[in-house]
Amino acid sequence: METTAVTPGQRLGYAEDYTAGDGTYERDGILYASVVGLRSVDSNMDGELPTMTVVREKEQSAVPEVGSVITGKVIRVAPHSALIAIMVVGDTPCREDFSGSIRTQDVRAVEKDKVKIINSFRPGDIVRAEVISLGDARSYYLSTAKNEFGVIFATSVAGATMIPISWQEMQCPKTKTIEYRKCAKPF
Amino acid sequence: MEIDQEQSHQPRIVIPGDIINEATEKNITLGPGLRQEGEHIVATKAGILKHLSPGKWWIESNQKRYIASTGESVVGRISVRLTEYYRVNIGTAHSAILPALAFEGATKRNKPNLAVGDLVYCRVAMANRDMEAELECVNPATGKADGFGGLKGGFVIKCSLGLCRRLLDPTTMILRLLGEHFPFEMAVGMNGCVWINSNTVKDTIMLANAIQNSEYLDDDECKTMVQGLLAKA
Repeated sequence: METTAVTPGQRLGYAEDYTAGDGTYERDGILYASVVGLRSVDSNMDGELPTMTVVREKEQSAVPEVGSVITGKVIRVAPHSALIAIMVVGDTPCREDFSGSIRTQDVRAVEKDKVKIINSFRPGDIVRAEVISLGDARSYYLSTAKNEFGVIFATSVAGATMIPISWQEMQCPKTKTIEYRKCAKPF
Repeated sequence: MEIDQEQSHQPRIVIPGDIINEATEKNITLGPGLRQEGEHIVATKAGILKHLSPGKWWIESNQKRYIASTGESVVGRISVRLTEYYRVNIGTAHSAILPALAFEGATKRNKPNLAVGDLVYCRVAMANRDMEAELECVNPATGKADGFGGLKGGFVIKCSLGLCRRLLDPTTMILRLLGEHFPFEMAVGMNGCVWINSNTVKDTIMLANAIQNSEYLDDDECKTMVQGLLAKA
């Protein structure tokens, strides 16, 4: 099928002939492109309309949505929140890191007011979290308040990879010291 | 604290990277300046190796840069005033935070009125390597000020951390010698800042100079120095 280059605002076809896919939007019954890219039509199962999409590049790129599971690295820890660089949304890596923050009340589900951020996350930890809202101008709001969310990888002060021993503690195999993190349940 | 008799032999001076073989007890507590690397104990600071009987080893070193540590009293200067807290410069790499409610008898309606540039004597409530230090101007056990709070007037001198620790040691002579002849009040911060206040500006400056000069003098030389000051005053 032909793949032509389209620019934003370019008319692609009638809404009654196609379903709007990624990179397109519908207005007054006509489908328009919303990004620069190559137009492609995917024929769907019988009975449904073919989908018109505009694909920017071959590379995958993901954007966090409310409810999506993300993997990111802790950049900074402040008294009431932890700043996370979102690197992977679901299974798709992001071309550019997004900014997320985990507030103290979203770290865990029990005893929310007694949370100490410094005993839950440290800079450099890799965490898995869920997006709970698009947040403010600076960052998405994330939550680790479920068993499967939390720190999945952390390095101890001595430089070794730590092993989770409970949902609150991780142990360094080199020095046997215990450090506090909010750990995700290992699968 | 008595340093045990093992120190009567030649004290060992170490530099960073030296392996400490002297620590042979079963249970060893590593103090400042020592770290465990695999099977060895390695010095991470330059200084004198010190030992206290039941397995406590540490390095006595002197430096000027302060690293915040929980429980220490520090003299700081307020750099920014915000609604909920003050930013205080205590000489560490990042400024520290002093919550406006961390004073004796402070409530939301009744907050202390400290301005930018004011000096405060406070206690490090929480410090770790990943976050800004948090300060407080109350004794956490009693809830009373116990000397913490704003400092009025006086003069601040910067000295090395070793000198500050010695000034807090009751066996150090210099403060007693000076106190016999001059009335003054003083707040020693473990961050290398010492605040001195006396009746006249001349006395304050003289005391400040005397304390700074006393860093490398022994007891007799201190006495001589104080006599010299009295003669001039």
